[in-house]
Amino acid sequence: MPSPPRVWLIVGGLALVGQLGNGFPAAQAGTPSDAAKLWSLTPVARPALPRVSAGDWAQSPVDNFILAGLEAKGWQPAASISRAKLIRRAYFDLWGLPPSPAEVQEFVADLRPDAYERLIDRLLASPHYGERWARYWLDLVRFAETNGYERDALKPGAWQYRDWVIQSLNDDKPYDRFVLEQLAGDELPDATDQTRIATGFLRVGTFDDEPNDPLKYKYEQLDDLIHATSTAFLAVTLRCARCHDHKFDPIPQVDYYAILNFFMGGRAAEGPLLAYADAGREPPPVQLLQGGDPTHLGEKVSPGYLSMVSALSRPVHDPPAQARSSGRRTQLAQWITDRANPLTARVMVNRLWQHHFGEGLVRTPDNFGSLSSPPTHPELLDWLAGQLMDGGWRIKRLHKQMMLSATYQMDSTHAREAEYSQVDFANNLHWKAMRQRLESEPLRDAMLAVSGQLNPVAAGPSFFPPANKESLEGLSKKGAEWGNSPLHEQQRRSIYMMTKRSLLSPLMTTFDFSDTTQPCSQRNVSTVAPQALALLNNEFVHAQSKAFAARVAADAGSDAKSQIDRAWRLALGREPSDSERQEALAHLESQRRNFAARAVEGGAVLDDQQAARQALASLCHVLFNLNEFIYVD
Amino acid sequence: MAHQPAEPSGFSARPRSAARLFPCGQTRREFVWEMGAGFVGVALSSLLGDDGFFTRHAQSATRAAAEGPLAPKRSHFTAQAKSCIFLLMNGGPSHVDTFDYKPSLAKYAGQTLPPDKQFTNSGNRKMGFLTPAWRPFSPGGQSGLMISDYFPRIREHADKLALIRSCHTDSHAHGSALVAMNTGSTFIGRPSLGSWAVYGLGTKNQNLPGYVAIMDKRGGPISGQPNWSSGFMPASFQGTLFRPVGEPVLDLRGPLDRTAQREQLDLLGRLNQQHLEQRTGSAELAARIESYELAYRMQSEAPEAVDLTKEDQATLDLYGVGGQPTDEFGRNCLVARRLVERGVRFVQLYSGGGHLEDTWDAHESVEKNHGRHGAEVDQPIAALLTDLERRGLLGSTLVVWGGEFGRMPFAEGEGAPGRNHNPYGFTMWMAGGGVKGGISYGETDEFGFAAVENKVHLHDLHATILALLGMDHERLTYFHQGRDERLTDVFGNVIRDIIA
Repeated sequence: MPSPPRVWLIVGGLALVGQLGNGFPAAQAGTPSDAAKLWSLTPVARPALPRVSAGDWAQSPVDNFILAGLEAKGWQPAASISRAKLIRRAYFDLWGLPPSPAEVQEFVADLRPDAYERLIDRLLASPHYGERWARYWLDLVRFAETNGYERDALKPGAWQYRDWVIQSLNDDKPYDRFVLEQLAGDELPDATDQTRIATGFLRVGTFDDEPNDPLKYKYEQLDDLIHATSTAFLAVTLRCARCHDHKFDPIPQVDYYAILNFFMGGRAAEGPLLAYADAGREPPPVQLLQGGDPTHLGEKVSPGYLSMVSALSRPVHDPPAQARSSGRRTQLAQWITDRANPLTARVMVNRLWQHHFGEGLVRTPDNFGSLSSPPTHPELLDWLAGQLMDGGWRIKRLHKQMMLSATYQMDSTHAREAEYSQVDFANNLHWKAMRQRLESEPLRDAMLAVSGQLNPVAAGPSFFPPANKESLEGLSKKGAEWGNSPLHEQQRRSIYMMTKRSLLSPLMTTFDFSDTTQPCSQRNVSTVAPQALALLNNEFVHAQSKAFAARVAADAGSDAKSQIDRAWRLALGREPSDSERQEALAHLESQRRNFAARAVEGGAVLDDQQAARQALASLCHVLFNLNEFIYVD
Repeated sequence: MAHQPAEPSGFSARPRSAARLFPCGQTRREFVWEMGAGFVGVALSSLLGDDGFFTRHAQSATRAAAEGPLAPKRSHFTAQAKSCIFLLMNGGPSHVDTFDYKPSLAKYAGQTLPPDKQFTNSGNRKMGFLTPAWRPFSPGGQSGLMISDYFPRIREHADKLALIRSCHTDSHAHGSALVAMNTGSTFIGRPSLGSWAVYGLGTKNQNLPGYVAIMDKRGGPISGQPNWSSGFMPASFQGTLFRPVGEPVLDLRGPLDRTAQREQLDLLGRLNQQHLEQRTGSAELAARIESYELAYRMQSEAPEAVDLTKEDQATLDLYGVGGQPTDEFGRNCLVARRLVERGVRFVQLYSGGGHLEDTWDAHESVEKNHGRHGAEVDQPIAALLTDLERRGLLGSTLVVWGGEFGRMPFAEGEGAPGRNHNPYGFTMWMAGGGVKGGISYGETDEFGFAAVENKVHLHDLHATILALLGMDHERLTYFHQGRDERLTDVFGNVIRDIIA
């Protein structure tokens, strides 16, 4: 008899290892009757706000739900974070950039009761908001600007889809419209170039222009569309029903092919845009593929929706007489965004919560099925979903509601950390905030912002980061396909960086950039030595360190203590402590001597000022490497 | 190979019978694993086996975090091979001209392939007549395995080789076939073989990457990064590119000398320590502090690992280092030996880079192309086998040779000297690492067109490589987006007959 397997569970950076015995029931194939039992398929409830005793703590309805959970255990929420840390958290959350020292100072000094609300409003109104949050959506839709495979050809105009996402978020486009335009922007009565660009959602995936088996590949391409659609909007693993009935969720195989109908007649739209269109008003019929094999055709399957969403059972209509498109994708979008669809709003508010709080209320943001992690706060999830729908599907309101909560403003450590973490290590109850590591984009952008080199120009074609000779070694056509952007272009925000599938930027992939071939709901957060090597040695980081030092010297003059204070404020948004200041002073002095001595050895002369400047760049470089720089409390 | 069951660790293991059902067959348990994997901080595998972990998590997690996700893990079962060197002949070498002896092609010369043999004519190229091998074959070693004159030195090692002459794959196009050879799927986005190996086994030397890919100077393989990607697994499992020129690893050296850098690291360490002390229970912060010390050690160890001045002249001569045309691949083979010697788990070497004739893609002329590339790699590969053996490393090192597909038995055009792509039948070989030597497994038809006997699909090949490394391809799983992913999907049979 084998012993129960050991499982390692990695939670918030700590791994737990345990032996799981027979505590979990063996999973079984889903049946339609299971649909009634699956939490995510129950109608979105309209819960009353829970009553709490520490009523003065709550600053938003969100807090009632969180506090009720804590009080049920007799627990206290973590203390509030300092104002200086709060503005840093809010900036990285909404902009992916650090606040300037002046902005920190102003906020800390602003004693008006609505100072924080004003801050959030200001951040949400800025175009930087869209530049930050569009990236999460681009991950979900497996965005990249080339096809992948042998020729890895550029998808002309893919950047327009990226800009459409950014602009939609900045405009606070209602989420139901956001979904509709991506699925059916070409079919709308008020279609424009912008809504057609939105259908780039169906075009930005990988594309093999030399498939081995064209028939099989046709279904692979359809599967990609089904997978992207079902993951991004519904967090349903519909793909698992391609070859057989879903093993766990109530999704019969026939449902996969019913949904496949919506994409069957589609193709690349004619014209200059990276857009999608139906080839005609009557798509070819769909037959079920036995075992997913295109050579084993089964029964004919009519267009239809997921049968497990029983509240939304309805026919798919034929197009109006004059229509040139089948109108099916419009109907799919309408089905997805129907207020009776129990998944859509829940999935979206969970994503918002996830990026603000580090983890979703449902910790499996790409799977709301039987194998999901049920919501830690089901009533809160539904309350938020209701808020989204009742508020006209506008997202900025939701950001604000979440960020105004006392829950959001908690510190990332707790006075009773040791005790609470033994019981609730994963912080399911939200007794503290979760420290978040900057993803590759805000990390790079923050270095540019702190060094003063960030070029804030928005929108337009992507820039090519410098690809050094070594990283081009991995390309089959070395250098031939890599563009050359001028330096000021290369200092734009990372969301405007070219994503070429065969040559993703090594600096970005080292820090767990999404892999661009599959929808990505949540990036990995790995901690490995090559990340340290990159931040220690990469040319970009050194260039930013030097620029940072020049900025500090320009701001603070030649006094070492003033320089140190300025550098700390720019990089970390705070003053150094006394001991930090002493450490920094000692570093400046010993590096100055090191650099001067090395210059002498090399036969060069380094005057005092040059040596001091190099030492300051060294200190600035250390600040970029600090845990405090890359982890936001 | 001895199949002594050992307690698996670090895997989402479950009974084999269940694993056979389908990778969609998920248990709650694996969902728990996914929950962790979704927001991986640091994989703390040394905690495996610790009891009462909740009570001691802070200290032990910090300690284990330092070891990282690549800490060595126990294999599923005992195996001889500890490392793998995969010699990838990029472009698709012709099996009928190298390792698959087809004397009957002489008989059929000038005729077309019988019409009942269906195939895709890759790139719609011209089709000519069946054409015998461009160089003669002769028997090698005691075993008498037939190997052609493109590889006279490798032929001397015939008794170490297990030829697998019945390979077949899923694509006739370089891009997808290369990705398939490396990941099992013609679609980009899945973890590569090396990623699976280090995910399953970790690596012995934490000062070097566990999985290294060395490119050909002429360029990378078609499709680029997806060939050594970790796909949906964390970045820690992806292949590290060792460059054939200059510094071996990206960002291994910066502008600062070691004194100045040490000064920085000391300051960094002290400031990070103060930061850490104000934040209790923060293993991820401690792990990141440790990663800097590891990086610092890697800076000295990685250049040392590729520093061939440490080798004596006889060894350099053996590999053909300093001579042409063997210098480059000779260096890479020697570097590969130095890496496995230092505990690197998986090394992949590319021969051929860029496109067409710079790879083994012999459309124009087999003799010209294979003559050129064969001469580049024959001596270095033979030297690698000799060197591994004399150092006692051959038993623990699995050497795999092959391309992404083979080539057609007929010419590319009437009287033309080249051959087109052939995914229906081709030869790969393995040596060392618990493989039987001097044997041949499987057959293509009498033309060498398609595998017919004991057919070996890529999934079978991958399953066998994992087995030789001590892993059961059905138990080596990674839960991702609702599916229990395997290197071999729902397929794969281990080729028991070639395992000693």
